[in-house]
Amino acid sequence: MSNTSSGAASFLKTSVKQPYIWAIAALVLLLIINLIKDPTYLGISVNAVTGDLSGNLIDILRASAPIMMIAVGMTLVIATRGIDLSVGSVMAVSGAVSMEFMHDAGDGSLGSALMAIALALGISAFLGLINGVLVSIVGLQPFITTLIMMLAGRGLAKVITSGQNTSASNEFFRWIANGTVLGFPVVFVIGAVIVALVALLVRRSALGLMIESIGINPKAARMAGIRPVGLLIFVYILSAVLAGVAGIFSTASVMTVEVAKTGFSSEMDAILAVVIGGTSLAGGKFSLTGSVIGALLIATLDKTIVFLAIPSSATPAFKAIVIVAICLLQSQRVRALFSQRRARTSTPRKEAVSA
Amino acid sequence: MAATEPIVEMTDISIEFPGVKALQNVQLRLYPGEVHTLMGENGAGKSTLIKALTGVYKIDSGSILVSGGPRQFSGTADAQSAGISTVYQEVNLCDNLTVGENVMLGNEIRGAFGINWKKTHEAAHEALVGLGLGDLDPRQPLSSISLALQQLVAISRAMVAKSKVLILDEPTSSLDANEVEGLFTVMRRLRDQGVAILFVSHFLDQVYAISDRLTVLRNGEFVGEHLTRDLGRSQLISLMIGKDFDTLASLGSNRRRDARESGEQPFYSATDLGRKGSIEPVDIAVYPGEVVGLAGLLGSGRTELGRLMYGADRPDTGEVTIGGKSAEVHSPVAGLATRIAFSTENRRDEGIVGDLTVRENLILAVQARRGWARPLSKREQKELCDKYLVELNVRPSDPERPIKNLSGGNQQKVLLGRWLATKPELLILDEPTRGIDIGAKAEIQEAIATLAEDGMSVVFISSELEEVVRLSERIVVLKDHRKIGEIINGPDITADTIVDLIASDGAEAQGVEAFEPEPAAFAAEGSTN
Amino acid sequence: MFKTPRFRSIAGFALVGAVALGLGACSAGGGDDASGDGGDLTTIGFVAVGPEGGWRTANEKNIQDSFSEENGFELKYAPATNGDQNSQITAFTSFIDEDVDAILLSATEATGWESILERAKEAEIPVVLLDRGIEPNDTELYTSHIAPDNVGISASAAEWANEQFPDGANYVVLEGPPGLSVVNDRNKGWDETVADNLTKLESQSANWSTEEAKSVFETILKANNNDVQLVFAQNDEMGLGAALAVEEAGLKPGTDVKIITIDGTKAALEALAAGRLSFVAEYNPLFGDTAIDVVKSALAGETVESDIVVPSVTFDSPEAATTALPDRQY
Repeated sequence: MSNTSSGAASFLKTSVKQPYIWAIAALVLLLIINLIKDPTYLGISVNAVTGDLSGNLIDILRASAPIMMIAVGMTLVIATRGIDLSVGSVMAVSGAVSMEFMHDAGDGSLGSALMAIALALGISAFLGLINGVLVSIVGLQPFITTLIMMLAGRGLAKVITSGQNTSASNEFFRWIANGTVLGFPVVFVIGAVIVALVALLVRRSALGLMIESIGINPKAARMAGIRPVGLLIFVYILSAVLAGVAGIFSTASVMTVEVAKTGFSSEMDAILAVVIGGTSLAGGKFSLTGSVIGALLIATLDKTIVFLAIPSSATPAFKAIVIVAICLLQSQRVRALFSQRRARTSTPRKEAVSA
Repeated sequence: MAATEPIVEMTDISIEFPGVKALQNVQLRLYPGEVHTLMGENGAGKSTLIKALTGVYKIDSGSILVSGGPRQFSGTADAQSAGISTVYQEVNLCDNLTVGENVMLGNEIRGAFGINWKKTHEAAHEALVGLGLGDLDPRQPLSSISLALQQLVAISRAMVAKSKVLILDEPTSSLDANEVEGLFTVMRRLRDQGVAILFVSHFLDQVYAISDRLTVLRNGEFVGEHLTRDLGRSQLISLMIGKDFDTLASLGSNRRRDARESGEQPFYSATDLGRKGSIEPVDIAVYPGEVVGLAGLLGSGRTELGRLMYGADRPDTGEVTIGGKSAEVHSPVAGLATRIAFSTENRRDEGIVGDLTVRENLILAVQARRGWARPLSKREQKELCDKYLVELNVRPSDPERPIKNLSGGNQQKVLLGRWLATKPELLILDEPTRGIDIGAKAEIQEAIATLAEDGMSVVFISSELEEVVRLSERIVVLKDHRKIGEIINGPDITADTIVDLIASDGAEAQGVEAFEPEPAAFAAEGSTN
Repeated sequence: MFKTPRFRSIAGFALVGAVALGLGACSAGGGDDASGDGGDLTTIGFVAVGPEGGWRTANEKNIQDSFSEENGFELKYAPATNGDQNSQITAFTSFIDEDVDAILLSATEATGWESILERAKEAEIPVVLLDRGIEPNDTELYTSHIAPDNVGISASAAEWANEQFPDGANYVVLEGPPGLSVVNDRNKGWDETVADNLTKLESQSANWSTEEAKSVFETILKANNNDVQLVFAQNDEMGLGAALAVEEAGLKPGTDVKIITIDGTKAALEALAAGRLSFVAEYNPLFGDTAIDVVKSALAGETVESDIVVPSVTFDSPEAATTALPDRQY
């Protein structure tokens, strides 16, 4: 309706229309609630003993990094009308491989850390390849395929560590999850860089367009000459590799792989983050920005529950209420109730390339 | 007729959607005992007007009088209880119920123990007899009868609900000639009973065959209301598209070339191209700059042949030569790589990618050919959009609008743009003009003719034989999944020639090959599909 | 380092495991013996939990070692698939159908066992519950329940806490998933025994996980401005996670924050020896011999006590841990 009188105002307008605006609102609300409980909540200080920056925000960023990784991979898989239930198990496999390798190497050197990472990501990619081949070439349902991989992956992690929780010590590896650069947690920085790279890859190349096409109308995409096989294998491998990164993040934080716990039910967090971010589970248009915000929200929610000392028996209900509220606010019908056929601007919205 | 007061009178109706004025000051009067046709191009506002009447959309201004009193319905059901029934193109009945149950749905006859099914079915039978459908068994499942009959069942249902106004939204678009005639018989019968019928159709012949009065809309505006007998065809078309009929009539007049000079290489040639269960082996060749029409009834194999040529389906027999070299075209990717493009007849399921924008839909095939790693730059995308949106006159010409919000004709133009952007040497068009309005149709036909003149080979598939004859140089005639003949177009060739060829199955007509005659009528053929 | 033979075999194993997808999940324990005759061997079905952590591994290995062929047993080991009760019930049913001589059960969930135990009873197969009990606790349905005493163990931990902080302190409980009988018992023993001047700030679940415990406890420390003196972690893993969070906050575990854990795995004792944990209560997993005695008596028709408590010890100093470490099997 209105002409674009001021750029900032129109930017605000377009972002207000993004489905994840409610996730941002919820995020702000949670931070405000925490602030009310403790006015210094947002404060960041330098820890006198360790010399690192510390603060609740730092903790949230740190905790969001693994969720962010699997949520971004999950977003692309879901965009192709698929789902990847195996991300949690791949996290465990990746953690198990890296811990077992460093435990074995035993020298705590940078070299063995890098080798462990390469190996962990390599095996993750291999698991993703199996998913992708089964879905695209064999034609199995993504749900079934990745469900099998979820069970098998967990088993594989147990085989790798002989069922033991395995610890290792490696300063560089530990630093990945626990260190900071320029005040930001290393995990978050690495995570943000990876998200930015993935976003650049899919949005600056034609991958995003092709993924959306096969998600929205696979037949039409095929008729237009798009080859789905390669794209599907790509998204499942990417999802698994990102899950591998998440597995490295979460095992590095405690330098232990807990074969039964690492990444356990993480796929649910990832799917939630994607949905909160406004990507439809039916596939098609996707928003990486939204999923990143979803991941941040989930991490904030987890932290808030502990910060407010909500009794552990009430936490699932509390989480559910917050998430249901956001999903309700995002639904077209509920929004229609709020705004009675408000005139929309005809300015197109295109999702930003940034993380 | 028209001696009485109108039963529905809509005055100065305006509806605005976000950013679009869908209707502006539109009038519509429906008289009892009259068939009133609503004409207009796609996007002219026909459906919107119907939905305004039945209350699916709220009107922003104007008045609706029903039987003299002001009314605002809250939706289709509300309108129906006031005697205004709508039968849509896609029949909304319950497939799993019987014919009788569908007819009586909501009006079942109740006895002491709930619904009395015997009486209900009897009443259904009566209602069907009332429409001349006495042969139809009310106890057979709805899914077992043809779409045309289902439509008639939907009309019966409207009559059981004692409707005084019947709205038929494009009821004939998927019917064959016989079925259309059956529908018209029913419509005339109802008209004579005093029902006011609002009829929406793209087919000019049908409009003149059935309607008494017509209202023309263009771009959401009211153009005029006329008695059909007072309005000539060319006048009507001019009213609808706002330009002269001559541009249409002149089309294709110079498309009738002589046979190819000997020695010229066809761009595409195939021998024994076939696929089990879809089409028997066929020989076909297309020369540069030539339009080859594929004619035949629905299900004759014309679509299947087009798909095999493109690689949409994998052929299991045949040798293909493209540009003088042997080629294997077994997938759309391979088709595009050999410079073939195929525009599907199934626009919604296999054509558009609904949630993507016009721009993204337009560049999709070009992008697919280039591969994911070499994205078209913003500038290249803009160039393609500018070129094809203007050339093909896509409206609205906003490249960032989701394609699903465009009318059918404009979606088709965007798809045509998608294929042209791949710079094909052979363009296969399957029903490019189906279900779109006459204006867009003319534009698309014009575009095809121009393309061929510029040297592109075109395979043109259409169920409208006149269109095939008008555009093609050569016509391949198909029947029952096989090729029955090939006609070189010339001044003597008309749609009737093709009909005769199909009717006599190639025995006598001036085709090349002859097959055993098979007594089959045009209409009977169509109804098997 | 890639040439380390052990690692190469692991990597190879990993690939094989990945290819043989379906097998991966169940190949972990692999205790199915080849001996088919078993004429003079007593056949035992072991419905187990499977890999879960150090304690569980030690426990199930001990059971498998005890019921060896030398001792006259053929043990059929059936670990649950990812802690799923259904897979346990399936295994249990097939043991009944195979007509084994006795069944050992470590239930993943406490409830839902009545009907299947009833069937075992009808088939006259004695069932011995190992570690985890069932709810409702109907002693008619099983022969005996052998387990260390969770209530008693956490009570002893609370007693130690009372001694350490005679003037009171703020403490936090890190529990397992809410609803498990172990969690309820460990809470019960603690809450009944702990002194009133010890203030519970918060009780949060960290799902037995080191990683979650670390994340939870770092936030608790911030929420309370590091004013926490004591952590009661209901297993070793969570205690180790809390220790990491304490270190990251720039505090010293053992001095600034004392951490109590239950289980007594090797990793925990090492941490205790290093001063990172302060008190480790053992939850003794090694009761294979007791189980053999119970099974033998039950098969001989003798009456068996329905509730057998496995004795457990506590470690309250680095020295005690150092002494115990060389013999620690798990």
